[in-house]
Amino acid sequence: MDEKDKQAYLERYEQEKKRGVPFFPDLIFKDAIVSLAIFFILLALAYFIGAPLEERADPADTTYTPRPEWYFLFLFQLLKYFPGQLEVIGVFVIPTVVLILLIALPFIDRHPRRHYRHRLGVAIVTSVGVIAVVGLTVLSIREAPPPAETAQGDQTAALYLENCAPCHGSAITVSPDTNLHALIAQGKHEDMPAWNADLTTDEIDSLVGFILSPGGSQLFTDNCGECHQAPELVAGDPIELKRALDLGPNYPTHTESGVPVWAEVLKPEERTALLNFLVAPDGQRLFAINCAPCHGQSVAISGGEPELRTIISQGGRHLEMPPWRDRLSTLELETLAKYVVDPTSVPEGDQLFGQYCSACHGERIPRADDFTQAQEIIASGGAHEVMPVWGEILTSEQLDALVGYTISAAQGLPVALGQQLYAQNCITCHGEFGEGGPNPARSGDIIPPISSAEYLNTRDDTTLRAILAQGQPNFGMSPFGAAYGGPLDDDEIDAIVLYLRSWEANPPVDLPPEVEVSALQIGGQEIYGNVCSQCHGEQGEGLIGPSLRASDFQTENTDQDIFDSINMGHPATMMIGWGEILTSEQIRQLVNYIRQFAEPESEVPGEIPSFANDVLPIFEAQCNLCHGTLGGWDGTSYDTVMNTGDHAPVVIPGDPEGSLLGQKLLGTHTEGTIMPPSGKMSEDLIAIILEWIAAGALDN
Amino acid sequence: MATRIGNWLDERFGWRRVWEVIFLRKVPKVNWLYTLGSATLFVGINQMVTGILLTIYYVPSPDQAYDSVQYITTQVPAGWLIRGLHHWGASAMIVLSVLHMLRVIFYGAYKYPREMTWITGIISGIIVIGFGFTGYLLPWDQKAFWATTVGTRIAEVTPIIGPWILRIMRGGEELTAVTLARFFGVHVWFLPATLAVLILIHLYLVVRIGISAVPKRGE
Repeated sequence: MDEKDKQAYLERYEQEKKRGVPFFPDLIFKDAIVSLAIFFILLALAYFIGAPLEERADPADTTYTPRPEWYFLFLFQLLKYFPGQLEVIGVFVIPTVVLILLIALPFIDRHPRRHYRHRLGVAIVTSVGVIAVVGLTVLSIREAPPPAETAQGDQTAALYLENCAPCHGSAITVSPDTNLHALIAQGKHEDMPAWNADLTTDEIDSLVGFILSPGGSQLFTDNCGECHQAPELVAGDPIELKRALDLGPNYPTHTESGVPVWAEVLKPEERTALLNFLVAPDGQRLFAINCAPCHGQSVAISGGEPELRTIISQGGRHLEMPPWRDRLSTLELETLAKYVVDPTSVPEGDQLFGQYCSACHGERIPRADDFTQAQEIIASGGAHEVMPVWGEILTSEQLDALVGYTISAAQGLPVALGQQLYAQNCITCHGEFGEGGPNPARSGDIIPPISSAEYLNTRDDTTLRAILAQGQPNFGMSPFGAAYGGPLDDDEIDAIVLYLRSWEANPPVDLPPEVEVSALQIGGQEIYGNVCSQCHGEQGEGLIGPSLRASDFQTENTDQDIFDSINMGHPATMMIGWGEILTSEQIRQLVNYIRQFAEPESEVPGEIPSFANDVLPIFEAQCNLCHGTLGGWDGTSYDTVMNTGDHAPVVIPGDPEGSLLGQKLLGTHTEGTIMPPSGKMSEDLIAIILEWIAAGALDN
Repeated sequence: MATRIGNWLDERFGWRRVWEVIFLRKVPKVNWLYTLGSATLFVGINQMVTGILLTIYYVPSPDQAYDSVQYITTQVPAGWLIRGLHHWGASAMIVLSVLHMLRVIFYGAYKYPREMTWITGIISGIIVIGFGFTGYLLPWDQKAFWATTVGTRIAEVTPIIGPWILRIMRGGEELTAVTLARFFGVHVWFLPATLAVLILIHLYLVVRIGISAVPKRGE
């Protein structure tokens, strides 16, 4: 637009004005009519609808579904198309570009022509913009209808619409390795609250199923909804669900409900969708429900993903089950066998199962169809098909999720777990760094290093596992596997193997100083703290080894006995002969140190019952109504207690059980009746008297 | 008598000249769509009047905001009406502003010599949106609280200065009494002052340059 155009426009405008009307009253009149009309509309809206006011703001109430004012809805809807990293496009880039375009419009569209037919570009872009805004607003309103209007019957869809749709729209795309259940339960950031406060675990499960397999939810409603509520079945037992789907009307609880043969009614992909809805492909949840009962938090994997996938798919041999006939009575075996055939038939089986089986089998009861067979399996134990053939049970999505999660969960944790287990179980004999040392079980034997490259290279994982599980009886290593009576389950053994293997990559460099060198320099207390306390406890209270502070240990062993035990060890136990490592002087110091553990009660005089204060009042209250006035033993003073009676003396100092008084009180005396004749005194009172006799029956 | 008073005042104010310039000026013959601007102005005045009345009873603190709004709605004479007009007026404001803008775009009215009229109009439009956003929080009900939580969080996505904007808007990391206080302050002082200046310039330009004529074909 040049000067000429400008001039032409101004001239044309002047002519328009001349042909025009005065602003007042002509235009003002129109303005007034429109404004008045608008005012009446506002009045009507204020009168008939009013200004809404909801519940008072509650920052703690995360169930509230935030909705912006209607004129922001289009922007809100727009953001849904830019999830995650792309959000910045919807939030910042598009609005900024639109704003700049608007402000710059007069400088972009500089053509002198004004009629829209000559400015089709602007007209079209504007129209598209208007349509987009209106369309987005309509979409936003339609995508999140109020809960009351949601699809009838599909509870999960309703749950989704109520809780998720306001922010996430009609569907959510999640990457396959998302722990969706955990994410929903724990929330993510302030606008994605922790739903576990407001939704039950079942509801979260069903939401996860819905998000990952929306079609499955619809199929569920159509086919199962008549009898089942979604949350009652979701995240259930995939084995049973698969079975119910495969067996159709032949499934035990479905026989009378007119259930069709699902294979005829549903296409394979529909069955998959249904299973994916009921047991969502959420790796963490799958693991927690189906694997954790046996495998704990995670599984140590030394192989790769394909290997793991094969193991999970094929299931198969797993834990060695002990032969239960050794431990259970015939009756108990029968009960268990009946229980696994039909859990409802023997209620008491529940308790037995919980006691003996659920440590490995979890809540899931292995089903057996035949009583005799079940009894035989339980009784004989042995290699045992515990792990289901998951490849036949899980859908490929579920399997992918499970494999993915298991691998990610295995990273990091088991090595640390293995290290911890190693420290608890192995360090005593093999040393902190696997460097070995004197064999505690066989004097004169030295345990070779197990952390050396030579050792680790010449043994594969299976061998290491076998050694750990079964022990090396010939060398004094006890079995650690649960199947052989040890404390560790398969996963824990795997974790230790993994830890041992980590030495291959990072050989332990800092070998501790030679034992002999340090042994010469430390005394009883340090030796005890470093060596003995590992088995006998810091204060001699006893852990793996027996208590050293118990009175029978202290009284039954002379100093020489203790010296000999330390010097020679006990061949049948883990107690080695320390004479090869410690000097006689050190052992003597150790003996002295151990002697300090003796129960302090028997040494502190203040704790001995006093005759005048403790014992005599008992006699007066319990005995002297008869004794002392009716003849025989007289319990009124120290002298009479010690010297009177038909069978005097009734008190032998230091020997409560041998004293007639003690025998009469305890009822161990063979002649006559227990005293008092009305019945035994309370244990506390008897104990005071017996202790007084044991301490020498002093006149104190 | 009235004429004499009028003359006396005119000698001092010169209002007859102002009246002539503003109201008696000739304008091109235009259609009903040209009433959208004045309608927006009218609703804006409605918002100002009802807004001022609301501040008499409204208390901008989380403890009392909700109660005061409830009190206005249920106890104050015609309080429901004032609040209703303000509430619906906000929506009307948005609708009318947008329609007014669309009219200007389709008639090419932003062109020479009205570029500055257009720009002040666009900025006014942004201010109107700001009114809507800040006013939404003031009733301190669930809708207000959570929509603002989400709204301010969305602003955080802005590159580089996003977290800073969030803290400025909320007056901290969380949505608190400070947020309410500043939304109130912005809503009743900052935005009205800015809008008043912009609208005065906008109107001055409308009067000075005159409203555009409806373009004919070929024009």
